[in-house]
Amino acid sequence: MTSPAPAAEPLLSEGRSPALRGRTTVPRRLGAALPTWDLIATKHLELRKRRGLMITVAVMIIAPTVLVMGLRLGFHLFDPAHNGPAGDPGVFSALANLMAEFGFIVAAVVGAAAATTDLSDGMFRYLVITGRSRLALYLARIPAGLAILVPAVAVAFTMLCLVTAYEAVPQPTTVGMNNGVSIPANYDQAQLQTWVRQHPAAAGQAFQFGPGPGSGGSTKVGPGAPASYPGIATAFSDYTAAEDAQFNPAPNEMFKIGLWLELEIGIGFMVGLGLGSLTGQRTLSTILLIGLEIIVTPILARTAIPYFLDGQRLDVGVAMDQLRPAALGPASGGGGGPGGGLFFGGRGALGIPPMATWAMISVIVGWIVVWSVLGAWRMMTRDA
Amino acid sequence: MNAIDTRAVSHYLAGPARWTAAAAVPKGGLHHGFGGGGIILVILVLAALVFSVTRIRGRRHTAHDDDWGRRPPTAPLSPAEPPGTATPAGPPPHVTLSGAPAAAGSPAGPGPSDSFVTPRSPASPGAAANGDLSTAPGRTPRHAISFERPADGWAVETHGLTKRFGANVAVNGVELLVPRGVAFGYLGPNGAGKTTLIRTLLGLTRADGGTMSLLGIPVPAERKRAQARVGAIVDEPRFHPHLTGRDNLRLLAAARGGDARQRIGPSLERVGLSARADDKVSSYSMGMRQRLGVASCLLGDPELLVLDEPMNGLDPAGMHEMRAMIISLVDEGRTVVLSSHLLDEVERTCDAVAIVDRGRVVRQGPIDELTRGASAGSLQVDCADPARAAQLIDEAGIAAGTSLTDAGMTVTLPAGSSRELVADINRRLVDAGISVYGLQETRASLEEWFLSVTTRLGEHS
Repeated sequence: MTSPAPAAEPLLSEGRSPALRGRTTVPRRLGAALPTWDLIATKHLELRKRRGLMITVAVMIIAPTVLVMGLRLGFHLFDPAHNGPAGDPGVFSALANLMAEFGFIVAAVVGAAAATTDLSDGMFRYLVITGRSRLALYLARIPAGLAILVPAVAVAFTMLCLVTAYEAVPQPTTVGMNNGVSIPANYDQAQLQTWVRQHPAAAGQAFQFGPGPGSGGSTKVGPGAPASYPGIATAFSDYTAAEDAQFNPAPNEMFKIGLWLELEIGIGFMVGLGLGSLTGQRTLSTILLIGLEIIVTPILARTAIPYFLDGQRLDVGVAMDQLRPAALGPASGGGGGPGGGLFFGGRGALGIPPMATWAMISVIVGWIVVWSVLGAWRMMTRDA
Repeated sequence: MNAIDTRAVSHYLAGPARWTAAAAVPKGGLHHGFGGGGIILVILVLAALVFSVTRIRGRRHTAHDDDWGRRPPTAPLSPAEPPGTATPAGPPPHVTLSGAPAAAGSPAGPGPSDSFVTPRSPASPGAAANGDLSTAPGRTPRHAISFERPADGWAVETHGLTKRFGANVAVNGVELLVPRGVAFGYLGPNGAGKTTLIRTLLGLTRADGGTMSLLGIPVPAERKRAQARVGAIVDEPRFHPHLTGRDNLRLLAAARGGDARQRIGPSLERVGLSARADDKVSSYSMGMRQRLGVASCLLGDPELLVLDEPMNGLDPAGMHEMRAMIISLVDEGRTVVLSSHLLDEVERTCDAVAIVDRGRVVRQGPIDELTRGASAGSLQVDCADPARAAQLIDEAGIAAGTSLTDAGMTVTLPAGSSRELVADINRRLVDAGISVYGLQETRASLEEWFLSVTTRLGEHS
């Protein structure tokens, strides 16, 4: 004889007023500043189900690569005589730079959306009423938003790398310089200097050496030249720039570029999130960050303003361009500082002198931290 | 001047008028015209009446309270306060609002199990849970109210609560005591500060002064502990329109933590939204959003629900459903604070009420007592000799006044008079040989009382 199974405990305290009155427990971690996994997952769901936002992400991050590479693959497949392989260093550089530019803007849009949709939809007050820490609500948005952007960039960049690596022309063994001069590839600065000593005439045509100190005219090159040329650093920079433009990046360089792209969109998202939380207005935040990316940063990056150089370096876009991996050519092909010595092997491909690594990292971290703190503070103090 | 549309209110507030049974049948009326067909007609009418009464008794006494007269409260209430004796700013917590004497020797009052009277019907407790809101369990809508301080604190308690927006004082030293286990109306005209008070209580905005507690827990000091046991709708229920109702609840359950996620299904079922739970909220009607709002409140299995204007945007059927749901929630032992400017809804739904005007609570207490003591009612007497009847009543000195009308005589009842006075008047007239054909008593409604204590229609102050 079996006794009947006990009835399941009702989930709502229907008809159990004594139980209601005696209940004093508070869900664990309700007041904790760190968000729960469930909180992150549901915020991610909320963002993921915004169709317009997801279309924007797909169109601006993934679609250019798919479109360009798809067309190039198709052209090469149907008419290989007139269309070379799809993988090309120039196309790789152009698409990666486009991904960086568009990625930052899209990340700012997603960040501003993550910051403001609860407010604009009127859900913020109901989230606050739950008793959940406002800081936890803010912090939950970070992984939720990045979980959309990071995979999108990873997918697009992986496709770009695969096509570039496996559908590319054979790598050349020399680097083409000015006036048709070819220099063997993969030289470091010392090897290039040796080559210049051995080929003074060709070096004079390949590089425009500036006047050395104490010399009356052009820098003397050749067997009788001093051990170190004043212009060799610039020559090496030109050499590596040409090399990057003519060679597909190595896998490790592609990895560095990928990390740099993810950092770029991460910064865009964090700044968008902070600015959006601070202002509470999605459109305003988006416009401000687009203006920063396509107007302010190019101006500050390309022109050295007298007595304001350090101020220019406070722009996160300038710092990120300084951090640009060596294997990734500059967005517009202009500028260029001395190579080497920078994080990721970046060479400061801009019109202003490069900044120290610590300064660069400080600017980038500073932007993330300051905007995050401002956004979180506003969220914690805002009337809901 | 921001006037209240009294015509619209009066449409629903027909007034709790009732005909007394005594001498209500016209003389000889029933014998006129009766024949064989008349008997059949009477049988049919009686059958229809029995059928109607059976159906109506099976439903909640909610939408047609006025037709049935005001039911007595489930627990005896103390005698009414005379007009003007209520403290405008509310009494201190140790004073019983109803005027009932506090338990001698027990400053804190009886314990929860003693003072928390639950006159709830055990009949079909799952009716509302099945989403059948219109056929919620039969019960009297008035819950017993104890205005003695519970051992574990009031549901809501504020002292000197103040909130300013610049020079404008939206909440002006509010003294509010909400007993547990009742539907409590927070009633006031538009702009009186109702929503601001709720937002302040819930920590959505900071108070500029005063103290407050929810369920006996001081806030903002222990706000998270209090909020874990509170559900609320503020202004209007708003959700992410691109998400389904269920996903929105998932979002809120994730924020609430604990067992909230497991309550999503039961909450949706409780409010009758299970069938539409996977539709986007953008496709919901206002009534469905209101119900989803209540479902979101239930995720935390709250002891206290704060509903701000829950009837806004609802059609009459939606109002009926919402009213039934609120009453069923109170049936379960929850406290529901209902903010509204709809007098009729508050009167039908709530057990006690606080009137707020220009940021101040001007009256609070059980509705029956407040309206009974607020102003005099009147008695329309249809009798054979109105002039002699008026003279008789005047000489007896039992009424505040009499006047003759085309329909007979109108007796002005003294404030605070009981129904026994009506019987007494009837008895005196019959004893004096005056035939009485009908008595119609008109009591002050909540609307009249509301207008008498607020300053929006004329400067009554």
